[in-house]
Amino acid sequence: MKRKLNYVNYIVLLAASAFFIFPLVAATEFSLRANGATTHNFSNFQWAIQQDGFKTNLGVSFRLAMLTAVLVLVLMVPTMVYLHLGGARWKRLIEFICLVPLVVPVISFALGVSTAFPVFLQSTVYELSFLYVIISMPYTYRALDVGLSSIPLVTLVEASRASGASMRQTLMFVIIPTIRSAVNGAIFLAVALSLGEFTLAVILHWDTFPTWIANISQGHILAAIALSVLALVGAWLLVLVFAILPKSFRTNKTQEAAA
Amino acid sequence: MTTENRVSVQLKGLRKVYGEAVALENFSLELAPGELVALLGPSGCGKTTALRILAGLDTDHQGQIIINGKDIAGVPANKRNMGMVFQAYSLFPTMSVIENVAYGLRVRKVGREKRRAKAQELLELVGLGSMGNRLAHQLSGGQQQRVALARALAIQPNVLLLDEPLSALDAQVRTQLRDEIKRIQVEVGTTTLFVTHDQEEAMAIADRVGVMRHGVLEQCAPPQEVYLNPTNVKVAKFVGAMNLLPAEILSTTELRVFGHKLALRPSDAAVPAGKTGMALIRPEQLSLKLGDGLDAASATVVSRTFLGPLTRISVRMVADASTLYVSMQSAQALQFIEGSSVNVEIHATSVLLDA
Repeated sequence: MKRKLNYVNYIVLLAASAFFIFPLVAATEFSLRANGATTHNFSNFQWAIQQDGFKTNLGVSFRLAMLTAVLVLVLMVPTMVYLHLGGARWKRLIEFICLVPLVVPVISFALGVSTAFPVFLQSTVYELSFLYVIISMPYTYRALDVGLSSIPLVTLVEASRASGASMRQTLMFVIIPTIRSAVNGAIFLAVALSLGEFTLAVILHWDTFPTWIANISQGHILAAIALSVLALVGAWLLVLVFAILPKSFRTNKTQEAAA
Repeated sequence: MTTENRVSVQLKGLRKVYGEAVALENFSLELAPGELVALLGPSGCGKTTALRILAGLDTDHQGQIIINGKDIAGVPANKRNMGMVFQAYSLFPTMSVIENVAYGLRVRKVGREKRRAKAQELLELVGLGSMGNRLAHQLSGGQQQRVALARALAIQPNVLLLDEPLSALDAQVRTQLRDEIKRIQVEVGTTTLFVTHDQEEAMAIADRVGVMRHGVLEQCAPPQEVYLNPTNVKVAKFVGAMNLLPAEILSTTELRVFGHKLALRPSDAAVPAGKTGMALIRPEQLSLKLGDGLDAASATVVSRTFLGPLTRISVRMVADASTLYVSMQSAQALQFIEGSSVNVEIHATSVLLDA
């Protein structure tokens, strides 16, 4: 941490930042254009928000993102903890499986889903959340793996078990708080992915916020850009909520116990 | 704050295998209520395995674990009500010190006020009453282990399990905390199993010391008994320093070393069949006298190691060029300078023969 940044570091940092920030700034600027780019105001946002389907589609994507986040928390976190605790021999295999979504084309996923997913799941839009969990696995795996590798997991778990905690309590009170930033990171990745995912939703014929934006863009490109900027801000807000949520949850629990 | 939670522990015929390696073989040990037993042995001797089996952290073993008359072999770790302190620092990093101590009560659904009061009481017992709001990383290693001890005691455990809790600490803190663990253990009265590779630690703290080698409990007895009266050569050689002196075997109960008749102590090994053997004698059971170098017990002083109150002198025997160590008061040792001719004298009455 005490290392000083030299010129090369600064240049790389600036270039990388520019690479990320410039498109965002440009998109924001576009979204604020009005009257043939002569003035800037929020008219594109106002127009987009008033369209039919804004609320419903945003609602669908929001619920998909929440469900994806919950699934990551419920499925990925315990699995990763298990792998780090004793499932070392499965770790290689699971790591490989988690990388597979990177190389398998989304269209194959869609086909696989329509043949293999249970019908009751296929009949609702929430099937997308399960797919988003799978597609985000390469990223959530990394985030959680790094987090779990950086703590003395075995000792903490044994200390918790010896204190009388069940595995569920150990997860909730000890492990997740200790790797909170890694869990937040994993959830952020999954949420961002599910808010922006387009291809699967289209192939499986579901209407989500991104597919709706694509529709809008055919008539009013600036409004579509405005919606994308909104979606981005929304994703960040959601992540903030997730960063704060576990803490308030913990406080509630403690108060509950005191009552 | 003595607890009424005094329990007896019986480990019967434990056997544990990791792959090909046998970690524990026919391991049986009883702990009386309120007793502190230290398991002593080199790393890999199975002492930690025994403790972890008792804690329920190592499963898949043979044998019985009986607490207050009930076999708990099938009970999972979190239902055994054991207080454990680990060698590695194990405080939960996101919780304050007091939350750490109260953790066992929290998962037992004890109310917030009640568990905090109990935790505060225990923090005061370990001398950290004012540190409740700190985080683990704001404490020194010794303080962290004190908190871990308080956390282990907060649940009023059936048995307190200490897995080399002092190994990560520096020498001064180690001695201090060792004495304090003993004080607290006596005060609380919890039956305690203490695992260590440090002889001095085991001797200083334990009511009984169990010496382990290669998964086998060789001897379990009060510290002075283990030191002065080891049941076999393995224990004798492991605990404290030992000299090997050539001995003439006179009968199954008597032998002669340097012309002195000594009693041969019964051990669990058979007396060697031959006429000669090697007798085991501690450095403090030998003394030196300036001599002429013509005796069977003649030797030359090779070096002196000053150890504070005591000095250890190593001498080379004239007869067979073997090296012996002799401990004595430092003041007495001044007369034996390097190169002096000396006679070695024996002050033991009974000895063991090397197997």
